[in-house]
Amino acid sequence: MNGEALIVVEQLTKRYGEATVLNDVNLKLGSGQVLVVIGPSGSGKSTLLRCLAALEPIQRGTIRIDGTLAAKGDEESGAGPDRASLKALREKVGMVFQQFNLFPHLTVMENITLAPRRVLGMAPAEADILAMDLLRRVGLADKRDVHPERLSGGQQQRAAIARALAMHPRVMLFDEVTSALDPELVGEVLRTMRELAEQGMTMLVVTHEMAFARDVADDVVFMDNGQIIERSPPAEIFAQPKEARTRAFLERLLEREGRRDA
Amino acid sequence: MGDFQWARILGYLPDLLRGVGVTLELGLISASLGLVLGLLLALMKFSKVPVLYWPAYVYIEFFRTTPPLVQIVWLYYGLPLFTGYDLGAFGAAAVALGLNIAAFYAEIYRAGIVGVHRTQWQAARVLGLDLKDTLRYVVLPQAVRNVLPPMGTTTIYLIKDTALASAIGTLELLRIGQLVAVETFRPVETLTIVALLYFVVTYPVALLIGRLEARFKVARV
Repeated sequence: MNGEALIVVEQLTKRYGEATVLNDVNLKLGSGQVLVVIGPSGSGKSTLLRCLAALEPIQRGTIRIDGTLAAKGDEESGAGPDRASLKALREKVGMVFQQFNLFPHLTVMENITLAPRRVLGMAPAEADILAMDLLRRVGLADKRDVHPERLSGGQQQRAAIARALAMHPRVMLFDEVTSALDPELVGEVLRTMRELAEQGMTMLVVTHEMAFARDVADDVVFMDNGQIIERSPPAEIFAQPKEARTRAFLERLLEREGRRDA
Repeated sequence: MGDFQWARILGYLPDLLRGVGVTLELGLISASLGLVLGLLLALMKFSKVPVLYWPAYVYIEFFRTTPPLVQIVWLYYGLPLFTGYDLGAFGAAAVALGLNIAAFYAEIYRAGIVGVHRTQWQAARVLGLDLKDTLRYVVLPQAVRNVLPPMGTTTIYLIKDTALASAIGTLELLRIGQLVAVETFRPVETLTIVALLYFVVTYPVALLIGRLEARFKVARV
C-alpha cells in the first residue's frame, strides 16, 4: 500500500518545550483501513491525532494526508503547509473529541450544517437534507432541533460524529471518544463507529476499548513514550504481542477490565 | 411636605424632558460607538501582530486611566485648536464618551472571549471554519452570554456620565436641571426630579439586559 497510503507520517517529532512527546514516529495507513492506537496515558497517542488534524505545530518530519501536506517540522528548512493546503486538509480530515465539543448555543441541526454552509458554501436547504440524512444514520433524527445540553453524553457524541461526517472527510480521527461517557452509553457510540468502518471509512482511533480494537481494527498500534513500539493485526497483538512492553500494558489493562466486570 | 415646592418644579417638566431626550441621544450614540470600537480593540488585543496589539493596549490604558471629563474638554477645546475641526458641544461630548467607554467595553469583550473554552476554537478549526466565521458563529455568540451583566452595568454608568457634557454647556438633563434650580432657588426638589428622570432612562437598560440574559442563557456543554 506504499504508493496509495492515505496517511503518511514520516519521522515525526513533537516537543512541548523540553519534553519530547512524539519521537521519530513513522506511520502509514491505507484507504478504508481502521487503525486503533493503544498505549498508556502520556504515551503520545492523542498528540499524534492532534498533529494529524494540524492542531499542533511539529518540530521534525512531515505529515501527508491524501497527498496534502498537513504539517512539516518547523526546525527544518522548506516551507510548511500554506493556507490552501491547510484548507484542503480540513476538508479531508474529520475529528471527534473526548469531550464532544459541540457548539452549546446551536441546535443539533445547526451544529451539523454550520461547516457545510460556511466552508463548502452549501445552500441551506441542501445542508439540511445532508444533516437529516446523517442524523438518521446516527439515530438522532428526532433530536434535530434540540440543544446539546438536552442530550445524553452518548447522543452528544453521535451528534459530534455526524457533524464531522457532514464535511465528507476522507479520514476520521477519534480521540478517546468514549472515555467521558457513562459505561451504559459507550455501546451506542461504538456501534456508530463500527457502522462507519463497515462503510469503508478510513479511521484512526485512540481508545481503551479492546473489544472494539479486536473486532474492527485492521491493525493495532501500541505506543509508549512517544514512540510506536509495535504494530500488528489485532489477532496477533492480543494473542502474542512481540514486545515485552506491549504485553505488560495489555496484561495490566485486561486485569483492570476483569476487575470491572467482576 | 413642609416647605418643598414640587408643583413649581413640575412646571419646568417640558424643559427637563427635552434634557432627557438629549441625554438619551448622547447615551445611544456613545454606546453604539463604544460597542463597535470596543469589539475592534478587543480583537486587536488578541493579535500577536505588534502593530495591532500595541495601539489597542495604549488606547485602552489611556482612556480608562484619564478622567472622561478631561477627555470631553480635550475634544471640545483641543480638537478645533489642533485640527480646525469643531464637533460642537454635543458632538464632542458624544464622541469623547464613546471613545472612553470603548476602552471599558473592550476589556469586557476580551473577558467574554477568553471565557469561551479553547476546545470550541479547536472544534471550529477542525471543521475548517476560518477566523471570521469562528468568531461570528461560534465564539462571539457564546461570549455575549458572558459579557451581558458587566455590559449592562457599564452602560448604566455611561448614561449617568453623559451628565459630564454639562461642563461644556450641552443642554442635557443635568445641565437643564441646574438652570431650573438656579431660576427657582430650589436645588433639592429639582435635582431629585432629575435623579428620578435618570432612573427612568437607565432602568430600561437594566431590564433589557435581564431579558437578553434569559434569551442567551444556554448551559455549558
